[in-house]
Amino acid sequence: MFRLLSRPLRLPAFLGPAPRPDDPQIFRFNSERGPIIGDVVRRVVQHYAGQPQKLLYVLNEAGNAEVRRLAMQDDLEASDALGAWRRLVKRLGKMNEDEKVQELRRITGDMAEDIAGNFDPRVYALATRIVPGVLTAIMKPSSLPQQLLGGFRQLGELVSTEGPIEKLRRLARIGTLVLVPTHSSNLDSVALGYALMREDLPPVVYGAGKNLFSNPLISFFMHNLGAYRVDRRIQAQLYKEVLKTYSCTMIERGYHSLFFPGGTRARSGMVERRLKLGLAGTGVEAFARNQARGVSRPVFFVPATLNYALVLEAETLIDDHLKGAGKSRYIIEDDESTQGKRVREFFAKLLQLRSAMVLRFAEPLDPFCNPVDDEGRSLAPSGRPVDPASYVKHHGVATIDPARDAGYTRELGEAIPRVYQRETVIMWTQLVAHVLYRWLVHMTPGFDLFGRHRLRGHKLPRAQLEAEVGAARDRLRAISAAGGVQLGPVLRLHSPAEIVSQALEAWSGYHTKAIASEDGDKIVIGDPNLLLFYQNRLVPFAEALATAETAAAARTIAAMGGGA
Amino acid sequence: MSARVAVIGGGEFGWGLARAAERAGHEVLMWSRRPQREGSQRVRLVDSLPELAAAELVFFAVPSPYIPALAAELGLHLDGGHFLVHISRGIVGEELETLSQVLRTRTPCRRVGALAGPLVAKALLEGAPGGGIVASRFPEVQEAVCEALSGPTLRIYRTDDVIGVEFASTGVGLLAMAVGYARGMGLGPATLAIMASRGMSECARIGVTLGGRTETFTGLAGYGDLLAAFADDGRPELAVGRALAAGTPLAQIGQQIGAYVEGLESSRRIAAYARRTGAHAPLLSRCADVFEGKVDSGQALAALMGRQVGEE
Repeated sequence: MFRLLSRPLRLPAFLGPAPRPDDPQIFRFNSERGPIIGDVVRRVVQHYAGQPQKLLYVLNEAGNAEVRRLAMQDDLEASDALGAWRRLVKRLGKMNEDEKVQELRRITGDMAEDIAGNFDPRVYALATRIVPGVLTAIMKPSSLPQQLLGGFRQLGELVSTEGPIEKLRRLARIGTLVLVPTHSSNLDSVALGYALMREDLPPVVYGAGKNLFSNPLISFFMHNLGAYRVDRRIQAQLYKEVLKTYSCTMIERGYHSLFFPGGTRARSGMVERRLKLGLAGTGVEAFARNQARGVSRPVFFVPATLNYALVLEAETLIDDHLKGAGKSRYIIEDDESTQGKRVREFFAKLLQLRSAMVLRFAEPLDPFCNPVDDEGRSLAPSGRPVDPASYVKHHGVATIDPARDAGYTRELGEAIPRVYQRETVIMWTQLVAHVLYRWLVHMTPGFDLFGRHRLRGHKLPRAQLEAEVGAARDRLRAISAAGGVQLGPVLRLHSPAEIVSQALEAWSGYHTKAIASEDGDKIVIGDPNLLLFYQNRLVPFAEALATAETAAAARTIAAMGGGA
Repeated sequence: MSARVAVIGGGEFGWGLARAAERAGHEVLMWSRRPQREGSQRVRLVDSLPELAAAELVFFAVPSPYIPALAAELGLHLDGGHFLVHISRGIVGEELETLSQVLRTRTPCRRVGALAGPLVAKALLEGAPGGGIVASRFPEVQEAVCEALSGPTLRIYRTDDVIGVEFASTGVGLLAMAVGYARGMGLGPATLAIMASRGMSECARIGVTLGGRTETFTGLAGYGDLLAAFADDGRPELAVGRALAAGTPLAQIGQQIGAYVEGLESSRRIAAYARRTGAHAPLLSRCADVFEGKVDSGQALAALMGRQVGEE
C-alpha cells in the first residue's frame, strides 16, 4: 500500500520517564498518540459517512488529485503509492457504501498516521541543553568555549523577548495557548522554539512543512518535539480535512499549538494585514467542541510579532514578491535558508548586532476577540468578565456549528492583524530603509515601481538622511506612546547618526547586493528592491512619518499597501 | 414566557419591527425614550434597558448617533449569546465605521448584523407586502431575523456581506436625498438615471475599500433599495431632498420631517473620506457640497456635467 512519507526515527518507548502531573500536556503525547489518531479517523469518517454523494466525491477527488500529483512527482515514493490510488479510482464505481467507508477509514488512518508527530521528553531535555550550544556553534564556532562558560549570553542578547510573559506562563496552566505569530523567515520557528524554552514557556506543537523533514537530523528533532508533518503538495480535500481534524483534536486535548496564520512567509516584508487563519481557526472549533461535551478548558490566542533587523531570505522573498510569484511559489525550496553557507554568513553578521531579533508577544485573546485577564477570564469592553461559553450557545445550549465558528474565525482574522500592527517592533534597519526609499520615491515622481527599481546610484547627503531619520523616529515615538507601534532597542536608545551607521553596518557583509553605502558625505542607494523589503514594515505609518516635503512620496508608499 | 425579540427605539421603524415580530407570533420587548403608544398583548414596553437582555435577538431601531451609548449601556447586561441587529443607514467617525462594528466594540456581542433594503416603516406597521435583506457573518443571526420577522407579507433575504450591506444602505440614504432634491429642482428622468447609476458605482467603489463586495451594491441593499426610493416609497430622505431644493434651511428640515435623517451627516463624512483616500467619488462629493449649502444646484450640476466623460 502507498506510503505518503517515510517513517520517523524514534527512541524505544520503554526507556522514557513517566510525565509528572504538572508537565504540559505534550509530555503525555506518546501515550495519547493512538487515541488521538483514532479520534481523528472516527470524526472524519463520521463527517462523510451517511452521505453517499459526499463520500463518493471526497474519495474520487482524493484519488484523482493524488494520481495527478504522484504522476508528476515521478520518484520512488510516488511509484509506491501511484498504483494504489489508480486502483482505488478504478474500483470506486463498483464499491458499495460499506466498502467506501472502509476505504475512507483506511486512507484517513494512513494520512493521520503520517501527519501525527511524536514527543519524547528525553529529546526535549536534550534539546534544552544543546540548542544554545548548537545555535552558537552554527553562528560563531570560535566563540563556543567562551559562550559555554558565560551561559550563552551572546545568544541571549541576540534574541530579545517582550510582552506579558509571566501572564502567558500562568495562562498555559489554565488553558490551551494557540500562538499565532507573524511569519517572515524559516528561522521563525527556531527563534520561537528557543524563546519559549528560554522563557520557561511550554513547548508547542506545530505543523511543519514536509520539506523541513528531509534532513535526518532536523527530522529527528522535529518528530520528537511534537511537530506534525504538513505536506503542502497534497491538494486532496480529504487531506485538508484530516489535517484540520488533527489540529482541532490536539487543541481540544490541551496541547499548546503554534500556527503561522499568514500561511507562508510574507514575501513583501510587510506585516500581514489579512488573514484567513487556516488551521489556527480550529482553535475556535476546539473550544466549542469542548464546551458541547461539558469541558470548559479555555483557549487563548496569542498573537506575536517576529522582528528582524536582517532577514535571512530577504533577497529571495522580495524578488518573489516583485515577480508576483509569491502566490504560486507557496513552497520555495531554493532560498537562502537551504544554503548552509548563506545561513552561516547570516548568523555571523547577526551576531555582530545586538537585539537583532525581537520576539514580542501580545496580550492574549479568547476565541471571540475578547482580551483576557491574568486569571484567564474573558473581558467585555466594560472590563467585566464575560462567559466565553455564551458565544457557542444557542438558546442557552452549547452547540457545534461550523458555520458559526467560521464567523468567529473571520473576526479573529481581522483582529489579529490589528494586533500585529501595534505590536510590530520597528527595527533600525527598517526605519533607515524607509527614509531612503521615501527619498527615492520623492526624487522619481511619475515613475512606476519597476521603473524606479531599475535606478541605481541615487545619492542623498548623509546629514539630510540623519535629520529625516531623527524626525521620523520622533514621530514613531509619539505613535508608540499612543500604543500604535513599538520601537526596537536601537531606535529607542541611539542618536540618528548612530542609527544610520548601524543600519549601514548591518546591511554590509551579508546581502549579496549592497542596499546602501557611504560615498564621502553622501549615502548611495544600491538596491531599491531590498530597500523596499526592509521599509515595507513601515507602510502603515508612512503618511504619519512624512514631512510636508515628503508627504506626496509617503502617500505613494502608503498606496503600495496591497497584500502582504 | 421569555420574550424572543427586543426592540430599542419606539419610532416608526421600531414599531414596524415590533408589529412584524408580533405578526410572526413572537413576544416583543420594547424600550424607548419617546412617549409611548399603546402596546399590545405581545408587545411589552419596558422601563429599563437591562430588561431587554431577556431576549436573544435585539434590534437597534434608533438613529446612529445614539447607538454607541445605548450599546455600551445595554452591553453591561449582555453576553456572547445575544444577537444584535441594527437598521441604521448611518456610519460613524471619519474612517466610516459601520454600526455593526460599533456594536462589536461597545458590547461583548459578536453575533451582530444589519437589516437593510427597501423596508418601509409604514409597510411594516401595516403588514403590507415588502422585503429586505439581513446581513451577518453568522447564519444563526440571519435565521433568527428571518424567523422573527418573516411572514406571508414580508420576505427577508440573507447575505454575509455585512459591511457591503451597511455601506450600500448608507449610500442609498444619501442618493435618495439627491433624488428628492433633483426632483424638487425639476430635473428629468435621464439626469436622475445618470445620477443613480454613477452614484451607486461610487458607493460600490468606496464600499469595496471598506471591505464590502461589489455585487452587494447591485442587489437588494443597493439598487433594490434605490429603486424603491425612485418609486417614491415615502421615505424621509426624499422629503429632506425636496425641502432642500425648496430652499428650506437645514435647521428647519428636521422639525418639518419629524425624523432623523442619516444622509446629511454621512454625506460629509463620505466626501471627506473620498478626498483623503483618493477614492473617485465626484457625485457623492458634490451632493455633500449641496447638502451643506456650499454650492447651489446650478453650480453642482455645471461642475458634474462639465467633467470629462470616460468609460463606464
